[in-house]
Amino acid sequence: MAGDVGSIPELDQQKYDSDQQVKIICLGDSAVGKSKLIERFLLDEYRPQQLSTYALTLYKHVADVGNKTVAVDFWDTAGQERFQSMHPSYYHKAHACIMVFDVQRKITYKNLANWYKELREYRPEIPCCVVANKIDADLKVTQRSFNFGKKQGLPFYFVSAADGTNVVKMFRDMIKRAVDYKQNPSDFMDEVLQELESFQLEKMEENAEAEDEEQKSDQILSLQ
Amino acid sequence: MRFQAKRCGVQFSPPSIILIYQQLDTNKVRKRIIPVRNFSKYSDYNMAAERLKNHPRHKDYLENVSQGQLEKLHIILRDHLQGFSLEHSLASFHLDTDEDLNKLGDDELARKKGQMDELFEKNRKHKDDPDFVYDLEVDFSKPTAERCSWDEESEDDF
Repeated sequence: MAGDVGSIPELDQQKYDSDQQVKIICLGDSAVGKSKLIERFLLDEYRPQQLSTYALTLYKHVADVGNKTVAVDFWDTAGQERFQSMHPSYYHKAHACIMVFDVQRKITYKNLANWYKELREYRPEIPCCVVANKIDADLKVTQRSFNFGKKQGLPFYFVSAADGTNVVKMFRDMIKRAVDYKQNPSDFMDEVLQELESFQLEKMEENAEAEDEEQKSDQILSLQ
Repeated sequence: MRFQAKRCGVQFSPPSIILIYQQLDTNKVRKRIIPVRNFSKYSDYNMAAERLKNHPRHKDYLENVSQGQLEKLHIILRDHLQGFSLEHSLASFHLDTDEDLNKLGDDELARKKGQMDELFEKNRKHKDDPDFVYDLEVDFSKPTAERCSWDEESEDDF
């Protein structure tokens, strides 16, 4: 599938190497409000591209950061989270990650640990934040402290996609952090890991092909 | 707006949407029976609800009935046509906050999302609202926040 993804122009991830492009991914359980948050931030500007084959929605945005204009792609899942895991290409070349849970559903908070673990397997260094959505349902939750983000040293936001509380602030912060991360040349480890990652992917593909070959010959044998 | 919707429900036989509304110029409360045509157990409830919401003869009456509500009524009707009981349909909308929604299929997830959308629409600030603030910021940081019980019984890696 990794090969297929590369051949779709919208999913050409080479572009994320250019200075004016950042990729920000959203993670979190089904129905925590990931799409609604992006749509609240973009308002009328958004024209999402549904790539249903890949269970993926892309939102494009142009932002001014300092004196630069940056094209931002927000990657949103379209049901892929139901496999409890995302395809590696979802994480590939991402510059920041927004992790969302629903303050009304404890399980979505508990599952953050799994999402964060998977994120760090692919992207050990990128900026990430924890977002507590749907505070409009019960403002009392904002008096509580949720320690998952603190433990991991991640910024935490109480937001509401419905009434808009802190949505724009959170996205602006994350865009800025994504751009900063990209410009930070000291992040040598990440590049090395990225190289290793693609090297391992290639290796895996080779192995997969080899297995295919074996299976085919097995089939031929059994036919005989 | 000439009509204020009061209640909106569904009737199985003959299949129809029932609307209780108030006529605003006379303040009279009336009942409107809207027959649901061309709707089978295989029909798309989403499209059917949208069609009804935009129906030239009914749309004025349904102006303040949400799309979500109409979808829900069509789901109940479709469940009935498929032989499910009303109790079954109503239970399927019920949102159990402990349930892992990652494990549901498309149709079941849509039912739960529909339920959540009701709250979303209720609390929603539209960009055309007079008090709409695009960049709404609220500082919730408090030095004495109480510890969330969700953090108790946590595993070490959490």
